[in-house]
Amino acid sequence: MRVSGIIHQQICQLKWHLLACLGLIMVLPVEEAIVNLKEGDGFFTTAMTSLAVMFSPLLTGLIACANVQGDLNEKRYIFWRSKPADVKLLITLKFFTGLVASLLIIACPVVFAILSNIIWNGEGIDIFVPLPITIAIMTYSLCFACNVVVRKTARAWLIGMLTGCFLLVLPFMLPLNLRDFVSDIMFLKFGFYLTIILVAPAAAFIFALYAAKHDWHLRTNLKSLLWIGAGLAFILLMLFSSQVANIKVLHEKEIETSFGRNTLDYAGSRAVFQGYSYVDIDKNSISLNNISGGPEFGIDDNLTSRVEGYYVRRYPNSGRLYKNVGDDIYSFAIHAYYHTEGKGPSLKRFYEKVYLRSYKHTDKSWMPVCELDISDCLTDNINSIRLAMRMIDNRLIAIVNDSYVVVDTTDPGELKLIDKKKLDALKKYIRLTYMDRQKEFAIPLVPVEEIGLEERIKLSIDLNYWYYGFRNEINESSIVDVHDGKFSFFIVDFDDIVRFDVTRWDDEKVYCKFSTLRPFTILESVTGHFYDDKFVKNGKFYCYDDHTLMVFDVRSNSRIRKLGHFVRMDYDIEDMAVLDDGNILLCVRWNPEFLTRSDEQKKYLYLLKNPE
Amino acid sequence: MFGMLLWKEWKENLWKLWFCGGASVVFTIMLFRIRIIPDFSNCILISFIQMFAVPVIYSLDIFSGEISNRTVHLLFKIPVPRWMLFFSKYIVSAAGIILIFLISGVLMEFMARGREAQVLFLFATNSLCGMAALVLFTWFCAFGCQSRSEADSLVAMFGVFIGWGIVFFWSSVCEVAWAERFVPYSLSLLRITKIGPVLTIFSQIPAFAAVLIIACYRYVSIRRYL
Repeated sequence: MRVSGIIHQQICQLKWHLLACLGLIMVLPVEEAIVNLKEGDGFFTTAMTSLAVMFSPLLTGLIACANVQGDLNEKRYIFWRSKPADVKLLITLKFFTGLVASLLIIACPVVFAILSNIIWNGEGIDIFVPLPITIAIMTYSLCFACNVVVRKTARAWLIGMLTGCFLLVLPFMLPLNLRDFVSDIMFLKFGFYLTIILVAPAAAFIFALYAAKHDWHLRTNLKSLLWIGAGLAFILLMLFSSQVANIKVLHEKEIETSFGRNTLDYAGSRAVFQGYSYVDIDKNSISLNNISGGPEFGIDDNLTSRVEGYYVRRYPNSGRLYKNVGDDIYSFAIHAYYHTEGKGPSLKRFYEKVYLRSYKHTDKSWMPVCELDISDCLTDNINSIRLAMRMIDNRLIAIVNDSYVVVDTTDPGELKLIDKKKLDALKKYIRLTYMDRQKEFAIPLVPVEEIGLEERIKLSIDLNYWYYGFRNEINESSIVDVHDGKFSFFIVDFDDIVRFDVTRWDDEKVYCKFSTLRPFTILESVTGHFYDDKFVKNGKFYCYDDHTLMVFDVRSNSRIRKLGHFVRMDYDIEDMAVLDDGNILLCVRWNPEFLTRSDEQKKYLYLLKNPE
Repeated sequence: MFGMLLWKEWKENLWKLWFCGGASVVFTIMLFRIRIIPDFSNCILISFIQMFAVPVIYSLDIFSGEISNRTVHLLFKIPVPRWMLFFSKYIVSAAGIILIFLISGVLMEFMARGREAQVLFLFATNSLCGMAALVLFTWFCAFGCQSRSEADSLVAMFGVFIGWGIVFFWSSVCEVAWAERFVPYSLSLLRITKIGPVLTIFSQIPAFAAVLIIACYRYVSIRRYL
């Protein structure tokens, strides 16, 4: 059998398909070049080359189907079989001839782009094409194998494309622990894909050889094929939804749009929305009830200063720390006053005064009832200030930069200063590194004698790893889980959640050790990026960013196991609360897309079923 | 007789209605329940997939099926004008396409009630995509009514998609407004772009009628069919 003869015959057989594909793939780049020429920029193409190459997997599939279709239909197949031809060699030659021809066609727009840019565009061009080309090789092989078996061009093409899509989507759907296999390229975990894209063509080629050798022929029916395809898509969607949408929405309530960030806080066991309404849940239905008949507005987020030229920063940034005393409800906040000097990048803030204030809820508003001047906590008063506070029983610990005060709040109308100290350990936040996962490390134990040891350890850890954040929520939650006398805490890194266990402690330090980690799957990395808001409650770790909430079980078998995932793209999750019955309350804002031609923002409260 | 032809085509193509309608309903319910993206984006996603998938499924064997199954010579022996044969196929397909989009549009509105999307916005967007799908299918008829196999039909359908895609790209980039109005895809974007709706629809109607007449003429003038 003459190899060159077969190749020649193959090229002749494919010539019209090749020309058609060449025309299709070159249309967009040439069109762009003509547009550029018309505008006087020169005859070159930039963006459309990448777009054209993106379509190459579809075209190579077409070439693959045309490659063997002519030889494998009933009559011609008998002709080939009757010849003393080596089927494997014949199929191999056809496969590689078509593949090389396909690659040459894909190369055309790239070469055209490079040459035209060298000649007419001084800025050159940077095209990233390896990915679509490798996918094109995969679709070519899959379509080739399908056509050997199915022997109908359109159906083989559809099956090949469907299989290709399935293989590409599969890693997204499966909860694979890919950490050991992958390398990060452009923030996407890509190694697994590369494996699939390279292994699939080889497997498809070998399968095609055997199928041709043994005359495997699959008789297909269009209806069945379409139903199977739809079924597969349905299964994929089910897998997808089980990965990212398995938290059930029990109720959704639109709320009045107000300026600023919406907040959910706790007053005892009840959730308080925006400082003026209790959120009550009755039979999975949300209702908002103003606190004891009023006020009709909440705590103002944007305080105006009483002295000209001075600005105010408040902690908590959004919401407040609430306390019920009998029928009365009080709230606490730290206010830091500063003035600015300079403009733009050289702008500096000078903090001068810090007050801890308590407010009592009256019919009309939140009235300030007591104020403590804690300005002497400000040692370094330029530019940045770090604030935090936490209520433990009747003790309120307020932290300002590297100092703290302990205040008795038995009567919130009369705050009593108990202790005030400077703590060098709070001077700077020490970020955990990969090295900390290798060995035991120590963090300073906050020497607040007025609270129990368990709370001291929790506060120490929170201050070490959460205090740095502008929006820390130390006032209402913690990243520490205490279970059976054991402490563990959780850090969200860029690509994983890491658990550290407290191994021991003494009078000055808490010793911690890396325990386990849970890498984010590809899908989790795609739907959310920076899970800055996180806390542990009742053995579950909650973390959320703008539009993604994830819930993890952190008490089973010392593993971190994902329980639930909730995504609302184009929504901003502003705050969340875990209710006493375990359900989750979420405060979200919908930012209208430009497509909807609507400027109206909408806000919602979601009641979610806490996943078990 | 025309009624009987319609009935024959309806029965032959009923599975397409079940398939496309079923898939549309199932995927609409699923995507609107999980709501990873907002309702409007879900609507756009589903409508665009429908806009391409539904005409492909209807076009696969609507004309070529008779030839590849060798029933076309029996069909042509029925004592009716050929334009009736063509229109029986076309009307049944068009009715199927319209019905599928109506069902999914109503379902989207129903599932998104009380949520962020404006009332009837999703229905209107989905219906416009349905109109675009119908126009694309009509263009396919002009090119694919003489197809002899599924592959030929598929090539004709994709040729229409790609051809209009190129025109759409060119008219958008070069800001050739009159050409943009003739592109079927413009219909689907009427609610979300600044393309004039009245002019677009009035440009589409004569083009649509002309293409339909050409398609009918081409079907009537089939000579070799076995």
